[in-house]
Amino acid sequence: MLYFLRKTGLFVLTLWAAVTLNFLIPRLQPGDPAEAIVQKLAGQAQQVDPEQIRAIRLMLGVPDTSLWNQYWDYLNALIHGDFGLSYGYFPYSVTHMIAEALPYTLTLVGVTQIIAFVAGTSLGAWAAWRRNTKIDSFISLGSTFLSTLPFFWIALMLIYVLANTLHWFPEGGAYSGEIVPAFSSGFVADLAYHAVLPALALLITGSIGWILGMRNNMVQSLGSDYTRLAVAKGLRERRVAWTYAARIALLPNFTGFAISLGGVFGGTLIVEQIFSYPGMGKLMYDAIGNRDFPLLQAIFLITTVAVLLANFLADVLVGVLDPRVRRQSS
Amino acid sequence: MPAANSTDEPILTVKDLNISFVSKYRDDRQVIRNVGFDIRPGEFVGLLGESGSGKSTLGNAILNLLTPTARVTSGELLYKGKDLFTIPAEDLRILRWSEISTVFQSSMASLNPVMTVRAQMEDVFSAHRGTSDAKREMTVEKSLDLVSIDHKYLDFYPHQLSGGMKQRIALAMSLLLSPDLIVFDEPTTGLDVVVQKSILSRLKALQADMKFAVLFISHDLGTVMEMADRVMIMYAGEVVENSPAGDALSGVAHPYTIGLLGSYADPRDAEINIRYIPGRPPSLDSVPVGCAFADRCGLATPECREPRIPTAEIDSLAGHRSIKCVLFGSENSDPLPERTIFDDVGQQIDVHHAAPGAGEVVCRVEDLNKTYSTRKGLKHTENHAVVDVGFELRKGSVTALVGQSGSGKTTIGRILTGVEKPSSGRVTVAGVDVGSLKRRALRNYRSKVQLIFQDPFQALNPASSVGYAISRPLVNHRKLRGSEVQEQVDRILGQVGLTPPSEYRDRLPHELSGGQRQRVVIARALAAQPEIIVADEPISMLDVSIRAEILQVLNELTRSNGIAMLYITHDLLSARLIADEILVLHEGKIVETGSTNEVLTNTRHDYTKLLLSSIPNPWQSRRIAPSLPTASSTSARA
Repeated sequence: MLYFLRKTGLFVLTLWAAVTLNFLIPRLQPGDPAEAIVQKLAGQAQQVDPEQIRAIRLMLGVPDTSLWNQYWDYLNALIHGDFGLSYGYFPYSVTHMIAEALPYTLTLVGVTQIIAFVAGTSLGAWAAWRRNTKIDSFISLGSTFLSTLPFFWIALMLIYVLANTLHWFPEGGAYSGEIVPAFSSGFVADLAYHAVLPALALLITGSIGWILGMRNNMVQSLGSDYTRLAVAKGLRERRVAWTYAARIALLPNFTGFAISLGGVFGGTLIVEQIFSYPGMGKLMYDAIGNRDFPLLQAIFLITTVAVLLANFLADVLVGVLDPRVRRQSS
Repeated sequence: MPAANSTDEPILTVKDLNISFVSKYRDDRQVIRNVGFDIRPGEFVGLLGESGSGKSTLGNAILNLLTPTARVTSGELLYKGKDLFTIPAEDLRILRWSEISTVFQSSMASLNPVMTVRAQMEDVFSAHRGTSDAKREMTVEKSLDLVSIDHKYLDFYPHQLSGGMKQRIALAMSLLLSPDLIVFDEPTTGLDVVVQKSILSRLKALQADMKFAVLFISHDLGTVMEMADRVMIMYAGEVVENSPAGDALSGVAHPYTIGLLGSYADPRDAEINIRYIPGRPPSLDSVPVGCAFADRCGLATPECREPRIPTAEIDSLAGHRSIKCVLFGSENSDPLPERTIFDDVGQQIDVHHAAPGAGEVVCRVEDLNKTYSTRKGLKHTENHAVVDVGFELRKGSVTALVGQSGSGKTTIGRILTGVEKPSSGRVTVAGVDVGSLKRRALRNYRSKVQLIFQDPFQALNPASSVGYAISRPLVNHRKLRGSEVQEQVDRILGQVGLTPPSEYRDRLPHELSGGQRQRVVIARALAAQPEIIVADEPISMLDVSIRAEILQVLNELTRSNGIAMLYITHDLLSARLIADEILVLHEGKIVETGSTNEVLTNTRHDYTKLLLSSIPNPWQSRRIAPSLPTASSTSARA
């Protein structure tokens, strides 16, 4: 119990630190955004009118109060999900833009991550259980080979073969232009149809790490005394494989998985670029191009919080799964 | 203990078993060669051998747990008439644990770390729902009662238990389905002597009560000889002797058995004679033709090099003996060889002792205390590892520091080498307080105090050659350069018996045997020309037959180089052999001290008595007079 309390305390503390840094860092930077904008409008080495600067400040909503008051306002706005207005997509709010992109990323990347983990871990476990057989060679050599191929190449090959040549799937986009986005079965089916190719690309590359990691961990746990003793005890194969060998081999993979889930919020830029998928990665990329600072700041904050949350969940889950960890830290 | 009835049908028969390790990258290595034996119901069989003799492979073969690289090339493994190598997998699974169960080496690793003790035990019952009610009579609770473990530990995880408790639980687990045969693979290795004693006596009592047969695999001669009804001695993949334990101890046995027994004695005896077998077992890549032991045997004749060595089958009063040695002939009617001819097996250990109090004091330890404090939440716990310890080390003499694990012996060694600072008290070497030394002075001090570690496999950098390892202290501490270094390396290699030096200088650690590696570690310690050597269990990882040799090297170097040695050990026999003075440590305090002879033969403190009584003594427990070769003039006399 103490372990979980400590982990929760640590999480709250780092969360606060991340949120506060996100507030402080832009404000500690030298220079004034309003001044920069006016200067840019007026041209180099021109006189700027102080009134103009004030006008821009008012437009951007740059506050005139103390840092402390700004901090409280910032926290208050955060709690209400208010990140201000986007510069690039004015007059849409940052929250609106993120709410547009996030569901696409979460469903595509989140779902594929989970499938990749489950499939990769199972394949790795199977290869280890049948170690030094043809199945093992096929799985581990095959995934080692695939891991040498660059991701974008695999994605492009999928488009070329399955979309361009065979016309089985669309080349890109999240849904067909003629369908009106609505929560209808037709739209969901269309979404799924469009998601197949990017999901396949993510699955192929995403599961390799889990396959190889799980196989190597499990080969080790299969050789351990507790697994050999489980065999000697006359336990059924399934029981030996899952409860003894795989359960312990899973622990390091599991931590990695929880942390990778945190990364989902940042989206996957390359996939979204190649498949013109309107996710978080693309949103962030465009925000950088547009110098859309409020949007960028919000995306950074969401990503940071997501990674922190994932880390926290990983800690808690490993604590549940591995009694040794609970004790060492308490 | 009633001896097994030899007219019973054997429950396990191994016939002409051959096992090889196969590898794509090298020739097959035959690790088990033509092994055959029986185990009868209720019989306690010991399987004794040094590392690499194939004893663990044989144990795994009986449990059908061989690794995928091991291949049974021929032979049968009959359990109650069924060949375990060929029966269907499901039949084998059902037979496991209900008929044959096992206890692995020091169960640190043999319990699943993420399951409670109860879950691991109940697993056995759920996997064997089909077994007869008689086999399922035992409950988890009852089994824990048998090994005197409180039921509350059922809900503990393995890491919350001590090594001894884990081993008791493993023993309890092995009894769950009342098997007819239990295979023990080094069950007490790594455990403390006192804990070992209590577990083994419990095992012996349970076996007498429940009448299961035991195959007890160990390298620990004393334990096997004391516990077993019958012993099998393995050498280079062969069972060279299979005799009732009493017969094996009688002094007429396979020369290798005699050699092994020669390295064993009771440290309480007034006089101790230790003999050792020079050389080391052959590599399994190239086992010599004929008798594999012939190269190390003082009694070898040209007949021993013939391809076929007959196995003598001899009926003795205690049962049947099989001995694979030409000395015993091949006919049952052949007379046994005379006891006296075995006097030439092995070599007498040659150790010298310093007179008590002789030699100048090089190190003085006064009122030494070391306290570790740990914080758990808001609670401070203080652990007094060393309490008011004081002693002196003298030039050319060996002081033994003995005690159980956790008694603080290693902490004292670490303080002496300057790795750790004392909490209070002084360690004075050549007038300097070691605890106050900083950086440069500490580095200079370290050249005066050298450490010999327990595990020679980890103490050497696997990527650098023997010569390089020894040259580092020469360059760093003694500032030698160029050809001087080379000369000194050769000289020191010669001193530790690695001759000719040219053959060893450029070798890498993995090309050396355990004994040779420990010699390199000793050579490296010597190279710094230290005044003090701290040897922390330097022989406990080595095989029985090479221990005596290393002790002899250590003893001679200390005496001839005028080094003061602190010999840290839990092994009282080796302390008796090498040390002039002995300090018995218990919970950080010195409870008894004096000359080695005095402390071990005229023991006063209860704790020392407990340590001594924990040492197995096969001759005493069987009331057999030690039948070792008569003492010669060079015997170890403390």
